[in-house]
Amino acid sequence: MLSTSVRQGARQLRLVRNVAVAALANGSAQPIGAQIAQSCEFGSAALVPLKKTELVSLSQVGGNILPFAARGYATVVDGLKYAESHEWAKVDGETATIGITDFAQSELGDVVYVELPEVGATVEAKETFGVVESVKAASDVYSPVTGEVVEVNDALVDDPSKLNSEPFEGGWMMKVKVSDASDLDGLMDSAAYSASCDE
Amino acid sequence: MAGVGSHAARIGLVRFAGEVPYAPALALQDAIASSVKKGSLPSLLISLQHKPCFTLGKRGKLDDVLARDEEAKCDGVEVVRSNRGGEVTYHGPGQVVVYPIVNLRTIKFGPRKYVETLEDAVVHTVAEMGLSARGRVPGATGVWIGDRKVAAIGVRISGGVATHGVALNVDPDLSKFRDIVPCGITDREVTSVWRELGGRGPTAEEIGDRLLRRLAALLGSPGGGFSPLSPPEMGEVEGFARRVAPGASFSVE
Repeated sequence: MLSTSVRQGARQLRLVRNVAVAALANGSAQPIGAQIAQSCEFGSAALVPLKKTELVSLSQVGGNILPFAARGYATVVDGLKYAESHEWAKVDGETATIGITDFAQSELGDVVYVELPEVGATVEAKETFGVVESVKAASDVYSPVTGEVVEVNDALVDDPSKLNSEPFEGGWMMKVKVSDASDLDGLMDSAAYSASCDE
Repeated sequence: MAGVGSHAARIGLVRFAGEVPYAPALALQDAIASSVKKGSLPSLLISLQHKPCFTLGKRGKLDDVLARDEEAKCDGVEVVRSNRGGEVTYHGPGQVVVYPIVNLRTIKFGPRKYVETLEDAVVHTVAEMGLSARGRVPGATGVWIGDRKVAAIGVRISGGVATHGVALNVDPDLSKFRDIVPCGITDREVTSVWRELGGRGPTAEEIGDRLLRRLAALLGSPGGGFSPLSPPEMGEVEGFARRVAPGASFSVE
């Protein structure tokens, strides 16, 4: 069993896995762990269970499967603003796109249902704008900004799992025309948010 | 959304006797949760048994209440929708229900860790009776003995405070579960402690007590006991309880 701990979440996890797949394909003599350590400059950490998709992709590389365990930490994307309650805001002119963070979705577990506001509704900073229900719990989500909802992500109704797989991209929840830009000043940047998650 | 980490916090207890209808219990939870959020009450466990009812979470489909003629009643058993997670389930006498109203931010539990803790508490409690159960089943929240479900869990988190909780079947009327598609799951059986023991076992009250102490240890102070409420706190809780369930008999510790 080889193991490595990976900061920065999904993107790095794919990188590490690709190195492992290539190493298995090459039949390289150098231990895979060492190759990963060299390519990614990561140290080793505790063993954790492998996610099914990773196991399948490794086993497709001929013959021997090396069980490969990697623990992903939550991704935090630069350039977004973050609320303490684990929502993010991406500001583009007057409009802010809002969603929940990678940390939030991993805490919740598999999302099965999302309740979003109506287009045209008003949302208030730090007030509930919707509910995310996972197999574990139904949890309120809070708007980082005050303003009018101009668009909601209907794709989430049919496929709530996007909140898990693409919390910062396809899993966006709503777009708000921000009425008071000073709300954004109270939010954290990616470094501060990242630090707050580590507490 | 709540945070994660380790904890040490006060937790109190409100224990109801008799059968409590579902709607007043919902109202009580909301009132207490509001106070826990504000900080005028510590986290509290509410322990009770319900009058027979089918309840639906946010996602629960009325189609899952199979034998119904109309929304309001099903063979004389009322149907109530609530804002918890999870789908449809049955509550009634013989089933231990605990609603921990917990400030997850204070104890730094995320939703996943909190639900796993509820499951762990049940698993430990039934293990004391020689039953081997498990929680933490991916996609199947709750507590299972084999592939039979012995306890259901439905949780709501709002403002960092969790409401609703766990329902452990000791000796409820299991036939009622055949009138619904419990938790939306069609092909798994629902079971009870007595059924798994093969006969009479400890009463729901006794088992409820053990579950409460285990939950207090996992969610509250490391010493494991309940923290007595101060007189103003006790007064607040008694006020809520009397308003939503006048005539119910309860004790606040």
